[in-house]
Amino acid sequence: MDETLDKRDPAVRAGIAARFNARIPYNQAIGLRVVDVSTDRIVTALAYREDFLGDPTAGLWHTAVGLSAADSTCGLAVFLALPGLESIATLDLRMDYLRPAVAGHDLRIEAECYHLTRCVGFVRATLHQGERERAVSLCTAAFMRTGQPMAVS
Amino acid sequence: MSGVDEPSAAIDDSAALVAAIPYARYLDIRIETATGETGRIYRMPFRDALIGSPRLQALHGGTVASLLELAMQFEVLIAERQARLPYPVDFSIDYWRSAAASDCHCRCRLIRSGRRVAQVQAECWQDDPERPIAFARADFLLRTADGAEPSNDA
Repeated sequence: MDETLDKRDPAVRAGIAARFNARIPYNQAIGLRVVDVSTDRIVTALAYREDFLGDPTAGLWHTAVGLSAADSTCGLAVFLALPGLESIATLDLRMDYLRPAVAGHDLRIEAECYHLTRCVGFVRATLHQGERERAVSLCTAAFMRTGQPMAVS
Repeated sequence: MSGVDEPSAAIDDSAALVAAIPYARYLDIRIETATGETGRIYRMPFRDALIGSPRLQALHGGTVASLLELAMQFEVLIAERQARLPYPVDFSIDYWRSAAASDCHCRCRLIRSGRRVAQVQAECWQDDPERPIAFARADFLLRTADGAEPSNDA
């Protein structure tokens, strides 16, 4: 692991996040973008696609698309909160579906790793379509630290 | 498990159900009606785009979670003869083992179905049904026979 890494430096964080995201094929397949990782509350976004619909008649995203994006974004939040470049694995994840996401608008995912122990990272996320106060869904998850280094270069 | 099925009709209907849901189609979910008492099996065929860790050749956890949520949703849709996909209230998943680069299978258990809410569990496995890789649970809002939705907020 790189001991000289300053994970407080926004440029370093942006570089790590970009490489972390680029090497996950499913994130690339669905087009997950890293928007802002300069603070502890990181932001990603997913552009609307017809493939993401769950109810084409009503024009609503399928909830599981946000679920996938939440898993990825929570993972990135934990990864950035760790002191080094340590690989992680999702232990569990919960979604509360407050209201449907509507077609034609992007989905934003804001995640924050609010507690870190020797073994586990605890994280929560809010999914919305522009207004954070009108969240589409809320996510809480726990990630296990594997102790193994993760190459992101 | 659930009510009475007409096997051949159920398979045709299942393909049409998946085709009607773009994200289920995107993941290429298959609903396979097994004969006997095992009920429906939902399958997500492996493809490279589903990978989450190239180093470990492991599936992205979000794809496994998506399969389980869609499977439980289809299970409620079929068993409760809903006109449209029931909307989930909440969902949670425990990851028990990492998912290898191969097909995922899922079986659901409709625990309780009341007037407004259906509560479901699902298990996912790859090669061996006795070694599940993930477990999920979810609650879904049911629609009444006239199609009215008891939606939280539109």
